[in-house]
Amino acid sequence: MTYRNQFDKELEELKISLIHMGDMVIKHINEGFQSFLSLDSSLAQSIIEKDKLVNEQEYKIEKECMRIILREQPVAKDLRLITAVLKMITDLERIGDHAADISKMTIFMENTHHHFETKQAGLITKACAKMISQALESFVNNDIELAYEVIREDDIVDNYFEEIKNAVANAIRSSSIDADYALYLMMVAKYLERIGDHAVNIAEWVIFSITGEHKKLNPI
Amino acid sequence: MKTENVFQITNLNLHYGTKQALFDIAMEIPKNQVTALIGPSGCGKSTLLRSLNRMNDLIDNCHVDGLVQYENDDIYDKNYDVINLRTRVGMVFQKPNPFPMSIFDNIAYGPRCQGVKDKKTLNEIVKNALVNSALYDEVKDRLKEAATSLSGGQQQRLCIARAIAMSPEVILMDEPTSALDPIATAKIEELIQELKKDYTIVIVTHNMQQAARISDNTAFFLMGELIEYDKTDLIFSQPSKKQTEDYITGRFG
Ligand SMILES: Nc1ncnc2c1ncn2[C@@H]1O[C@H](COP(=O)(O)OP(=O)(O)O)[C@@H](O)[C@H]1O
Ligand SMILES: [Mg+2]
Repeated sequence: MTYRNQFDKELEELKISLIHMGDMVIKHINEGFQSFLSLDSSLAQSIIEKDKLVNEQEYKIEKECMRIILREQPVAKDLRLITAVLKMITDLERIGDHAADISKMTIFMENTHHHFETKQAGLITKACAKMISQALESFVNNDIELAYEVIREDDIVDNYFEEIKNAVANAIRSSSIDADYALYLMMVAKYLERIGDHAVNIAEWVIFSITGEHKKLNPI
Repeated sequence: MKTENVFQITNLNLHYGTKQALFDIAMEIPKNQVTALIGPSGCGKSTLLRSLNRMNDLIDNCHVDGLVQYENDDIYDKNYDVINLRTRVGMVFQKPNPFPMSIFDNIAYGPRCQGVKDKKTLNEIVKNALVNSALYDEVKDRLKEAATSLSGGQQQRLCIARAIAMSPEVILMDEPTSALDPIATAKIEELIQELKKDYTIVIVTHNMQQAARISDNTAFFLMGELIEYDKTDLIFSQPSKKQTEDYITGRFG
């Protein structure tokens, strides 16, 4: 046990960096959605700018993984852990992009002073944020059950997406929604639905890291 | 395609006097593949390797029980031809051990002992062995020089050439690169990849990266027991036993 202290410390630090990246994108999703709800384009602008920090964090973790591979030549579960981290940061980075994409919708809507109430839009945002934070929690705690739970939760997100789509379609039929707004809202919902898919990917890499098997529970 | 096994080991137990060094080993060695034996010092890797060509016979109080079959024949059978076995199953040791004679004579030594006298045939055997051990270009102009004038890495390849000159089917290697620098080590590793086309190789190594790089199968031993034996890729990415995992990740020590 003794001569691995440094290596184990590096792996712990890697996990902390990953959690930090996860916290960043969860915050951006929540703020992005908030900016859309309140049509706050200055908040939206700030998220688009902060997305650069997410990219930098991805780069930092990637470099750290490569350094560990070079210096420690990890095998077995160490190798799987590093591989999983390298894959997970790609998904987190894409999630960050989608948070910025949602913020861009807010900016496009600047002149559309319209509002359309769907409680599902708030719910899907919450569900996505929960999936990401649980996926990362399952990684840090080697909790395979929680990882499977995240994969199952994607169905909930998909259902919310369907409900939003139906609500918007009805509103269009009854001409009670602004056409631009309807399109942007659907885009936002679609980005959130994609975020759920990336959280599933993360959970699948957690399962790989623990078991060595990469499970596609819900093959597309 | 079914892989053919050259060795089949069943219930192998080995004692040095009262001390048991191998416990109930069962494994097979597939033909034309590289099989690596890994594990901490004293776990029995060299002992197992030596039991494959009965080198343990040379050790006084060594006692072997169980079955080791080579090409389906029980090599510990009373009537088994040990000299023939050691010709077919050659060995390369940790420290290069060239004989105190010329490069040429080192390689020609084995064939001469077997009765090859014709000069032309000997020349051919020596050249082939040197080419196959990737040494020919480096020594072709100095075959008459003393083998001890070669570098450590060249000496080790000479020992491999000496083994090849006997046209063996299997080459056993006991930590063949542990006394060599990284470049000489890389050359031997590359050579091993070439050799497996024509020979079956069993290698003991304490260098886990080496086992991962060059072998097809890896057997992990602990205190005389075979803990896990599988495809090398699987051992190093997804070992199924905790002891294997602990050892290869350095959590054991
Ligand atoms: N000639 C011998 N006489 C007595 N004991 C031996 C002899 N060779 C090896 N051993 C013992 O057998 C065990 C296995 O040794 P060995 O096969 O050399 O291990 P490894 O090659 O894995 O380091 C060790 O405990 C060692 O002390
Ligand atoms: Mg040994």
